[in-house]
Amino acid sequence: MIVKTARILCAILVLFGAPVFADDAALFKKAESTYKMFCSHCHGLKMVNPGTSSFDLRKWPKDNREGFATSVMNGKGDMPAWGDVLLPEELDLLWHYVKTRAGKEPEPFESSDAASDPVDDIKEQAKALTTTPGTLTACLAKNGGVMSARRAKGGAGMDYEVAAALAAELEMPLEVRWFESEQEEESTPIRENYALLAYEVCDIIPGFALYETSLSAFYNTRAALPRWDDKPAHLGQEFQVDLEPISVTDPYARMEMGVVYRTPEFDRDVEKISDLEGLKLGVEQGTLAGVLTLRQGTEKMAADAVTLNPGPDFLWQMEQGAFDAALVTIGAYDFHKKQNFVSTLALDQYRHPLGFNISVAMLGRKKAMRDVFDPAIARMIQDGTMAKLAKKSHHTYAAPRKPWVQAHLTMQTILSMR
Amino acid sequence: MINRITKGAFAAAVALSFLVPQTAMAQSADDLINDANDPTTILTYGMGYGQTRHSALDGINLENVSRLRPEWTYSLADSRGQETFPMIHDGKMYVTTHAATMALDLATGVQVWKTMVEYPAETPRVACCGIVNRGVALYDGMVFRTTLDAHVVALNAETGEEVWRTKSIDFKDGYSMTVAPLVADGVLITGISGGEYGIRGYIEGYNPKTGERMWRTYTIPAPGEPGSETWKDGGDAWERGGGPAWLTGSYDPELNTVFWGTGNPSSWNAGLRPGDNLYASSILALDPQTGAIKWHYQTTPNDPYDYDTTNELVHAEIDGRKVIMQANRNGFFYVLDRATGELIAAPKFIEKVTWATDINLETGRPNETEIGAAARSGEQVTYWPSALGGKNWSPMAYNAKTQTVFANTNKFGLNYKAVEPQYRPGVFYFGAEFSWDWPEGDRGELRAFNPMTGELKWADSIAIPRYSGVLSTDGGLVFTGNMTGDFEAFNAETGEKVWSYNTGSGIVGQPVTWERDGKQYVTIANGVGAVYALFAGDERLANVPTGGNIWTFSVVE
Repeated sequence: MIVKTARILCAILVLFGAPVFADDAALFKKAESTYKMFCSHCHGLKMVNPGTSSFDLRKWPKDNREGFATSVMNGKGDMPAWGDVLLPEELDLLWHYVKTRAGKEPEPFESSDAASDPVDDIKEQAKALTTTPGTLTACLAKNGGVMSARRAKGGAGMDYEVAAALAAELEMPLEVRWFESEQEEESTPIRENYALLAYEVCDIIPGFALYETSLSAFYNTRAALPRWDDKPAHLGQEFQVDLEPISVTDPYARMEMGVVYRTPEFDRDVEKISDLEGLKLGVEQGTLAGVLTLRQGTEKMAADAVTLNPGPDFLWQMEQGAFDAALVTIGAYDFHKKQNFVSTLALDQYRHPLGFNISVAMLGRKKAMRDVFDPAIARMIQDGTMAKLAKKSHHTYAAPRKPWVQAHLTMQTILSMR
Repeated sequence: MINRITKGAFAAAVALSFLVPQTAMAQSADDLINDANDPTTILTYGMGYGQTRHSALDGINLENVSRLRPEWTYSLADSRGQETFPMIHDGKMYVTTHAATMALDLATGVQVWKTMVEYPAETPRVACCGIVNRGVALYDGMVFRTTLDAHVVALNAETGEEVWRTKSIDFKDGYSMTVAPLVADGVLITGISGGEYGIRGYIEGYNPKTGERMWRTYTIPAPGEPGSETWKDGGDAWERGGGPAWLTGSYDPELNTVFWGTGNPSSWNAGLRPGDNLYASSILALDPQTGAIKWHYQTTPNDPYDYDTTNELVHAEIDGRKVIMQANRNGFFYVLDRATGELIAAPKFIEKVTWATDINLETGRPNETEIGAAARSGEQVTYWPSALGGKNWSPMAYNAKTQTVFANTNKFGLNYKAVEPQYRPGVFYFGAEFSWDWPEGDRGELRAFNPMTGELKWADSIAIPRYSGVLSTDGGLVFTGNMTGDFEAFNAETGEKVWSYNTGSGIVGQPVTWERDGKQYVTIANGVGAVYALFAGDERLANVPTGGNIWTFSVVE
């Protein structure tokens, strides 16, 4: 994962606090404006209508969500189909509006069995929250290297495997929205994640790096959506989503940085970056690893270093002999090794102290899912399942380490790690 | 008597038609011009190019109206609101629904042909205010209509077979058509709907023979075009600037000018589009051959209220001056010089108007109250009349002999707050949150008033407002229909209701009258629906079933 240093360094320090969860009033307001936009001209303002020219939605059975979804998506009688226009969460919002009778009645209690055991109860609550009923939908980066990659059927990669395991935990099939980051100045990967969740393109986003700025909710702001397969054509680049607070699970892995070297030339015992002095170092421009190499090494190291563009090509240049060693994210190394079966590169034991725990993000109001996922993640780390999933994905696994959330990075912090 | 003269002319025409059946049966441009004077035909929307909806027929009158009974009924086989204007020519009546065009035998109501309209199932999404159609145009042996998915179609008047079909624009971007076309100076003219979907409105001229588009006049100018200086946002507001043209214009053959009204600018959030926003909420005078704008008059500059100026433009001669008249949504009755567009009078035609005190006759601009500035700045306001207007689309009638306008009017306001709109093609682009401000009692009134002063002659108040057209006759009668299904006749002088008949479904159609073999008939489409039934949420309509029919009435002996 490429972390753009400039953004990290320039970001204003925001104290980490518990995510704020969307309250009912905000949800209702969204539901009401969605109803007005799509339904009011036939079904009346606040669903008041005589029930002759169009169906009186106040009479729709509150327990028939499925029938509602079918009518809305496919049309019914005189009513046109909306399936190709509505987004999944808009259907949810409309259903919220209808089942609360335009906000006049409380939301019906939807638990299947009040007397069931509490664990099942939590699971049932979590299951009821998915955007597509009966399916857990995850957003995964299409080009996520060993962490996520699209396959003809399903996908591969560590984050994909975790998503699949969590879906199994909910006893649901997994559906993936494969997205591609827009490399625009305006958008950052984190804002895109917020946008995807707020627009309910998916229920969860694995691979969510935990650092202060990523968790300070972009509340009351808007962000653009990245592209994903089957993204409706009308959602152009200028389309902005109102962001909502998010919630995250406990982390399931840690993204770390390590030193990669070319096999024959390396004989060092590395304990800190400056131990690499004398080697021709590669610097991946604009990445955190690159900045650390330049700032935490000696001045001579910085002067001798070769600065190259970031991306998969970086390690390939090393393979070609452009430089001898480099600090890179482990994931980037893993991906290179996976893509290049015959390689002269190797990974040293050393790990840079700076790392990011990664977890699964979801909307604040879907945090009931977290209550199911957290114990599952703990169990999977404990019994070695996570390590197995990593191995299957050709990923060098590192378990998460405390503190869960990386404190805000300043140049001061970086220099103090020398 | 006018009747005798025209009957004679008709007999001559019939005799001629035997000699050259094909061409003589086809209505010519002169036939259209003469339509208002020939009670045996209805060849133009509004019963004459001037759309006065007044007939010189007096066969049905105050003496015998109590014996008015159904002559025949024809099922439109459709449950949407029926707004069709029936046309009559050569022994046939032509009517439409959104889904079909039909020719009926004038004597019996028996269907002669029916041609279905096919449009994609998702089209109704872009119809803000009812899945309706307002009727056909007749010319040169053909029947012309528009379709909900924004096509213009020509059918053979004898057989109903399609002659040509032209796509105007892609409906998926929020464009639709419900308008009855107008044939003026041999050009087929239509206007687009979609003012609540972020469209850029236009009026078009087609070659009626080939379906080839001759011109398109955008009602919202592009940057650099005349009028663009009234879009001061400096951005691209004009691209979604609205100004639909969804009601049929009128035509003056002597001036060779078409008069067409345009709808609200969009979104409703006027603060985002500073400037007057021409030519939205305007009356346009157009050259039928080129679509060039001869003059314009804007009723509500920088309109935040959704005050369309699409309502019918009725011709009259007042004090020797040719005028057009419009009962605008905004509560004022505009009388303009037909040749120049100069404002002559603009009295209020309803009781309660809160957004403006009056119209300045010198500048032609409204004197707005403080509501306008508040609405534009995003404050919560209440204004009267509502977005549905002091009068909605349903056309009025004008009796020139008594200088009286008869119009169905609304008595309610709107609670309104401008918000940031978000554009998505084919989805509502309001830019405002709103709800109705209902009065304690009645919400509607059929009003008879003087066009120059607004002075009320009489009013018939009603709980659920009427959304039907009005017809006036020399029989001393005014016909209209109500939402609960009554087809009604009023004494034109006193306003006394002298007859009514329940048709079984609410009426939002347009009454017409005509003569056959010396006998007068009145025809109306019933079928509840459209903007009020859909949007107002009036639960008192719960026991008014849908289902459209064409009803023709005559006096029984």
